[in-house]
Amino acid sequence: MAAVQDTAVVVGAGAKGRPAAQGRWASTWAKHGAGYMFLLPWLIGFFGLTLGPAIASLYLSFTSFDLIRAPEWVGTANYVRIATADPKFAAAMRVTFLYVVLSVPFKLSFALLVAILLDRGVRGLTFYRAIFYLPSLLGGSVAIAVLWRQLFAGDGLINSLLAQFGIEGPSWISHPNYAIWTLVVLSVWQFGSPMIIFLAGLRQIPTDMYEAASLDGASKFRQFYKITLPLLTPVIFFNAVVQTIDAFKAFTPAFIISGGTGGPINSTLFYTLYLYQEAFGNFRMGYASALAWILVLIIALFTAFSFLTSRYWVHYDD
Amino acid sequence: MTHRISRRSVLAGGAALLSYAAFAPRAFSEEARLRLLWWGSQTRADRTNKVSELFKTANPGLAINGEFLGWSDYWPRLATQVAGGNAPDVIQMDYRYIVEYARRGALAPLDSYLGSVLKVEDFDQVQIKGGSVDGKLYGISLGANSTAMMVNTVAFEEAGVDLPTPATTWDELARMGLEITKAGKRKGYYGLSDGSGVEPLLENWLRQRGKALFTADGKIAYDANDGAEWFAMWQKMREDKACVPADIQALDQFNIETSPLSLGKAATSYAHSNQLVGYQAINKDKIVLSSHALISKDAKGGHYRKPSMFFSVSAKTSDPELGAKYVNFFVKDPEAAKILGVERGVPESASVREALAPSLDDLGRAALEYVSGLGALAGDLPPPPPSGAGEAELALRRVAEQVAFGQLDAKQGGETLVNEVTQILSRG
Repeated sequence: MAAVQDTAVVVGAGAKGRPAAQGRWASTWAKHGAGYMFLLPWLIGFFGLTLGPAIASLYLSFTSFDLIRAPEWVGTANYVRIATADPKFAAAMRVTFLYVVLSVPFKLSFALLVAILLDRGVRGLTFYRAIFYLPSLLGGSVAIAVLWRQLFAGDGLINSLLAQFGIEGPSWISHPNYAIWTLVVLSVWQFGSPMIIFLAGLRQIPTDMYEAASLDGASKFRQFYKITLPLLTPVIFFNAVVQTIDAFKAFTPAFIISGGTGGPINSTLFYTLYLYQEAFGNFRMGYASALAWILVLIIALFTAFSFLTSRYWVHYDD
Repeated sequence: MTHRISRRSVLAGGAALLSYAAFAPRAFSEEARLRLLWWGSQTRADRTNKVSELFKTANPGLAINGEFLGWSDYWPRLATQVAGGNAPDVIQMDYRYIVEYARRGALAPLDSYLGSVLKVEDFDQVQIKGGSVDGKLYGISLGANSTAMMVNTVAFEEAGVDLPTPATTWDELARMGLEITKAGKRKGYYGLSDGSGVEPLLENWLRQRGKALFTADGKIAYDANDGAEWFAMWQKMREDKACVPADIQALDQFNIETSPLSLGKAATSYAHSNQLVGYQAINKDKIVLSSHALISKDAKGGHYRKPSMFFSVSAKTSDPELGAKYVNFFVKDPEAAKILGVERGVPESASVREALAPSLDDLGRAALEYVSGLGALAGDLPPPPPSGAGEAELALRRVAEQVAFGQLDAKQGGETLVNEVTQILSRG
């Protein structure tokens, strides 16, 4: 009964939505209108929430703007201050680079390792794929960051485990020497999405290559080194670029774990966190916009560098 | 055949009912809307919403929309709303930010409503002045409080240590902390929280030395020597284990829930008197208020009665008089006062205080007695903090951590702190 009703409604809507086909526009609309309507949410999002604000922020980066009074044009003063007179900018840069350099390789290696293990015909593969992917879905959320705070606190689970072995651990998240590492571990734990991509890449490698190699007496390690890795380089490249960009933009975990301060002693002062502090904590939206554009520039440079060097180590099957 | 209703028709009917309930009865009578924004806990939200209901009964046809956030999320939200031109009509404002918002033209001056809509004649005049910027009134104080030490009485008792008194000196307090730690009645427990990064506590200590955090014209009012002595005092307590170690103190995000007292790490914490209600709500042991320790037996206290928070009216509101009316109801109506208690501080109006006294519970009475009983320990209200004060507070916290984690010694800490705060204030 319900099904019949549904069908009737759909047919009705289709008949009503069809315009009278008159003129070129009308006929184009008749042909593609539905497509554009489906695109509309994305188009609104892109122009309203991405491109528009981006242009606005570029303008604001040349102003002094306290969020309340009208922006005041200051030319390149913000950029000059970033380059010459901002010790916190340098601190944020150090922390962010450290995070990128540590988290991306660890995460990719781990993702590849798990992908290879799963590729070896594990029973219930779909189940494991889903389970391992789960942290990636949850990872950016506030709840997970709060959970992480609990795990690594002085009397959290990690230290309880260490205590079993007679080790008295510090409060990891609130010690300047270790805080960044807990964030790196959190990031590695979210290895799901590169893992899925690696898995797909591994599936593309023809099995007869391995068969031929083992007939020739190549060891498993040699097969990995000579077949898997070279054929996987396009996927590694893709994952590396995407994960590097993500790592540069990381915000939520540091925000939650340090309570928004970037502490203790700036040890978790991610670049985006500093930007946020300047914009909303210190009412310097103009300066924060300049910081944002510096980040865009850095990410663009890194990505360009990756693409330029890729021709020396990425092998496309041609 | 049974009569079956399809899911679609149920949804449609439900939506129609809902929209009727939402719009129909009020569609013609609803004339005014009032949006409120404040920071605070769930307890505060419940109380505030009840007062709004009461105000609505007195003013039929009014729709009130109240929203609340935690302290650190509050200021970004308010700043964005003001920037976006959709500021709430009534804004909870802090002493720290009132100058910034008033000077930038985000708040409506309330002077013209004094005496007519705002009947605050029986307010403490000092507190009225506290809500004024450049000679105009921008905020009505919702209550007075003072900084205070929160003390876990059970932990003191277990260790056989007497509670601190208004005459306790810092030396004595350090000794008490040491004894509690040594007693070892609780696992991983220390006597005191580390207060070296807590700005109101530093201010109290400085005031006892005849100094202050900021001068009236917005400059730093202490020197590197003061900073060095301050850090050295805490360094000693840390070494003695009278207070918590650095990595425990760093867990404190400066709210009730993450203070070492609430985390079960220390027997004291440093906060404001109106927060006693919140502290007791999440701590099993009985918590009491104590004034801050003295630098010497004959020192005069460093306390002052501070407007705990204000209500301000947005400069962009369509009906500033309605906003002022709401604020007046909030601080003057006896029924509202009973609902609010002293959770936002001790009411400024003498008549409200009188009306309120009999209905207060023990916690409320303790907070009221604390603020009114400071006596000689309390001095003049310092001028409102200058722009950049929020950043200066973060700088204190960071330098205190650098000293606590051994990256700087106390002397370098004092110099670094003064340098950084001077720079921050010069930037404005």
